[in-house]
Amino acid sequence: MSTTEALPQAYGRVIDPYSLGRDRRGDAGGGRIYVTGRGEGGPASRRVIVGFGFWIFLLSDIVMFSVFFAAHAVLQTETAGGPSGRELFNPSHIAIETACLLASSFTCGMAAVAIEARSQAWTQVSLLITGLLGLAFVVLEAGDFATMIREGAGPDRSAFLSSFFAVVGLHGLHVSAGLLWLGTMMAQVFVKGFRPDILHRLLCFNLFWHVLDIIWVALFTLVYLVGALR
Amino acid sequence: MLGKLTLQAIPFDHPVPLFAGSFVVLVVLCVVVWIALKGYVPYLWREWITSVDHKRIGVMYVLLACLMMLRGFIDAIMMRSQQTFAFHAAGYLPPEHFDQIFSSHGTIMIFFAAMPFMIGLMNFAVPLQLGVRDVAFPTLNNTSFWLTCVGALLINVSLLVGEFARTGWIPYPPLSELTYSPGVGVDYYLWSLLISGVGTLLTGINFVTTILKIRAPGMSYTRMPMFCWTALASNLLIVAAFPILTATLAMLTLDRYLGFHFFSNEAGGNPMMFVNLIWAWGHPEVYILVLPAFGIFAEVISTFSNRPLFGYRSMVIATMAFVIVTYTVWLHHFFTMGAGADVNGIFGIATTIIGLITGVKVFNWLFTMYGGRIVFASPMLWSIGFLVTFCIGGVTGMLLAVPPADFLVHNSTFLVAHFHNVIIGGVIFAGFAGLTYWFPKAFGFRLDEGWGKAAFWLTLIGFYVVFVPLYITGLQGMPRRMQHYDFALWHPWIVAAAFGIVLLFCAMVCQVIQLRVSIRHRDELRDDTGDPWNGRSLEWATASPAPAFNFAVLPRVHGAEPYWEIKRRAIETQQTAEPQYEPIELSRNSPVGVITAFFAFFVGFAMIWHIWWMAILGVVGAYAAFVWFAWRDVEDYTISAAEVAQLDRARRRVHEEWLTQHARELA
Amino acid sequence: MSYDWNVDVAPGFMDATRRSVRQGITSYLIGLALAVALTAASFYVAYTNLVWAPGIPIALAALGIAQIGVHIVFFLHMTTAPDNTNNALALALGVVIVALIMIGSLWIMANLNQRMMPMDQIMQMQR
Repeated sequence: MSTTEALPQAYGRVIDPYSLGRDRRGDAGGGRIYVTGRGEGGPASRRVIVGFGFWIFLLSDIVMFSVFFAAHAVLQTETAGGPSGRELFNPSHIAIETACLLASSFTCGMAAVAIEARSQAWTQVSLLITGLLGLAFVVLEAGDFATMIREGAGPDRSAFLSSFFAVVGLHGLHVSAGLLWLGTMMAQVFVKGFRPDILHRLLCFNLFWHVLDIIWVALFTLVYLVGALR
Repeated sequence: MLGKLTLQAIPFDHPVPLFAGSFVVLVVLCVVVWIALKGYVPYLWREWITSVDHKRIGVMYVLLACLMMLRGFIDAIMMRSQQTFAFHAAGYLPPEHFDQIFSSHGTIMIFFAAMPFMIGLMNFAVPLQLGVRDVAFPTLNNTSFWLTCVGALLINVSLLVGEFARTGWIPYPPLSELTYSPGVGVDYYLWSLLISGVGTLLTGINFVTTILKIRAPGMSYTRMPMFCWTALASNLLIVAAFPILTATLAMLTLDRYLGFHFFSNEAGGNPMMFVNLIWAWGHPEVYILVLPAFGIFAEVISTFSNRPLFGYRSMVIATMAFVIVTYTVWLHHFFTMGAGADVNGIFGIATTIIGLITGVKVFNWLFTMYGGRIVFASPMLWSIGFLVTFCIGGVTGMLLAVPPADFLVHNSTFLVAHFHNVIIGGVIFAGFAGLTYWFPKAFGFRLDEGWGKAAFWLTLIGFYVVFVPLYITGLQGMPRRMQHYDFALWHPWIVAAAFGIVLLFCAMVCQVIQLRVSIRHRDELRDDTGDPWNGRSLEWATASPAPAFNFAVLPRVHGAEPYWEIKRRAIETQQTAEPQYEPIELSRNSPVGVITAFFAFFVGFAMIWHIWWMAILGVVGAYAAFVWFAWRDVEDYTISAAEVAQLDRARRRVHEEWLTQHARELA
Repeated sequence: MSYDWNVDVAPGFMDATRRSVRQGITSYLIGLALAVALTAASFYVAYTNLVWAPGIPIALAALGIAQIGVHIVFFLHMTTAPDNTNNALALALGVVIVALIMIGSLWIMANLNQRMMPMDQIMQMQR
């Protein structure tokens, strides 16, 4: 697509002619891009397109999570005589899981810095640490689930537990899929180097990982901490 | 080994589905064999199945829509005929079949006829109208199409292997829970929609990104054609609403497969929560369907009235207002299910407000026509038919928006007539208008006008003959989905509705004949200039059929109606300067879409029949296909400047001849 | 000649402001520190008597929203600058939709639960 042609850059940055910002006068048409904030500049660069498209996907994912959150909010009190949040939730476990995910979000940011500097070694190291921390999170969470099921507090016990397992499990599934993606990306960066399309995918992964941490913040606040009050 | 699947799944003792299913299988086999024998397979694989060209994908979507509309229409014929015969009698369809038929009718018509029709037309026209070469993510576009096809395929497989849901097209629990629907029917429904829902969501993301980030130079937001604005609103709604559908159906799937208690009767489940969540999707869904229809009518009415669209800015504001307001009305689908008067009242008022917004658009269309030189070609006829029919449907909607009135007619045939009124009058009429309007751009020749007009009139009259009696029986108290009834008051109206179905059947026959006649006479109907309707937007600035790269040189937009400006200047100056041709890069075709869809089909089928090993293999296969695709090094292919020039010069020659011919008339 | 280019970026990436490696690391470190502080505060509020009991859910919600804000600014590098407007608008639309769904569902379900008999009681009536 001709949209992969290089668009004019300024100060080494890519320009998105579709920014909705304030009116700025520049060179009026005639082959140069000028930005008026009304979106007249022609097709945006591939990086902006990929990033924005993935951002829209992430927003749709957030909407999907919000449906599970809504279901959990409605069903939080329906324990059907079974165990409630106060009895089940282990604050130290939740704290460790939160720490793991937050740290992995930080190392993912470090990976972004390394990618900007085009350093293969630092990129692989920080991605690896991100993956290990994410794996620790998933293993801990799976362990918690297994314990709860063994003690008879599985998702089939009550509506509260169903919605709990669903919303936390959905997040865990996303993290696991992210780990799979991370492994693939590490292999791709190693084999193919910092090619533009690989960079775009790394950008998408970066966004994905941070949004997962944002959802975890909402999750541990609303599901675990508020749930422990009941 | 094969989970729950046994030979008992095939309905050997039920003649109707057995015959229908075998017939479909036979037809499909004959078509496939004919294609193979004629040697078309390499061509089809290369040019259509793996194509990432938005025009090809759009045509395939519309083809899918028309085929599935046929299947849904046959369901409708069966329902109407059953009700005609089943007065003080049992009819010919046992209740468990009748239930499956009305469920599959709704599911197929909404998800696999109406949605693909609108998505197909958006796919075809939006990049052309924006003056660009393709959508943001062409390969994703192809994948979306094939995932939708898999959903359609699963529902059709249920005809011959197993059964379909008996719950209606929205499977309310507890009926749809495992306790009361132990068969595979609801599972077919769930997996079909979970898979095709992913495809639709990806389309939404694709088009939001395309419309917001990829437009011709100079095309600011306020210079976009109206169809692109409504496409933007519709796709924003897809992105915001389809996750709700996926989540809610996933919860029902968890209930059925893993014994969760989201919506069950015991252990604290809440069936009303399903109703609430699914309609939070369901209402935006109907706006997803109707907004592109509004856009198509804006284009058609403006073109065939030879006037620019009236009130562009108010239309844009109304369209974008829909995106928010449509999320404030969903309770009107379940006024009668236990909410208090305060809740009902607020949602009723919000529903009335949404009618206001639609009214703004109707007046804009009317004022576009006023003072114009109207050409009564068949797209314009569909538009006028829409204006009348949709307004009537909208007004009955306003009646339903008042909770006390809704308590009387909820779930009656009045409701059925209302939503068919707006969907047929809105979406289907728009589909046919858009199909006729953009057909020359896709294939290079127009559709035969005579048969098109016949199809229109038969559809219009047939529609009223079917649904006005249903309004009346609804007011007389007839509930929907009745397999038999004994109330004499309704019977003559039901018989009248059956006559309407005959008219609609004749309309469908006219459409098929129209296609055949048009192909036969394509040389007489050929469109040489690329602009058969004296259009106003950019898709008419390129040849018919549009070349793979859409535009040899991306057009530069200077005014509100981009193509109109170009035409005017060409006529005034009597020349069109040859542009500077450059090589063009386009996305390469890719089989990843159809391969992923292939695995997705087996995942769905395996999950339905509890064949766990097949499901796991399918997931692994889909992931492997994706990784293999992600590993490719060459994404694009180049068309040389010389080739572009050669293709474009042919078009320019025809244009210059047209200019000299018409110079005197238009000066 | 100075051009005042509107520079837009894909959301989340660092090249928005062309920082050096050190600046990049600093920004992430600040974000991490703030997030850790807010998380610790959330746990403290939930499990001790610092806040008056009925006010705990609101306090937790406020801390959670603050932490999400920290993530959005320091990790996703989303600002209100004109080069980010498209991305911020999309986020705003997402937030509005989520709010409508959650508030609407909670309001409707609360109203239904208040007015209708619980399901297990209805089931007992069937027997």
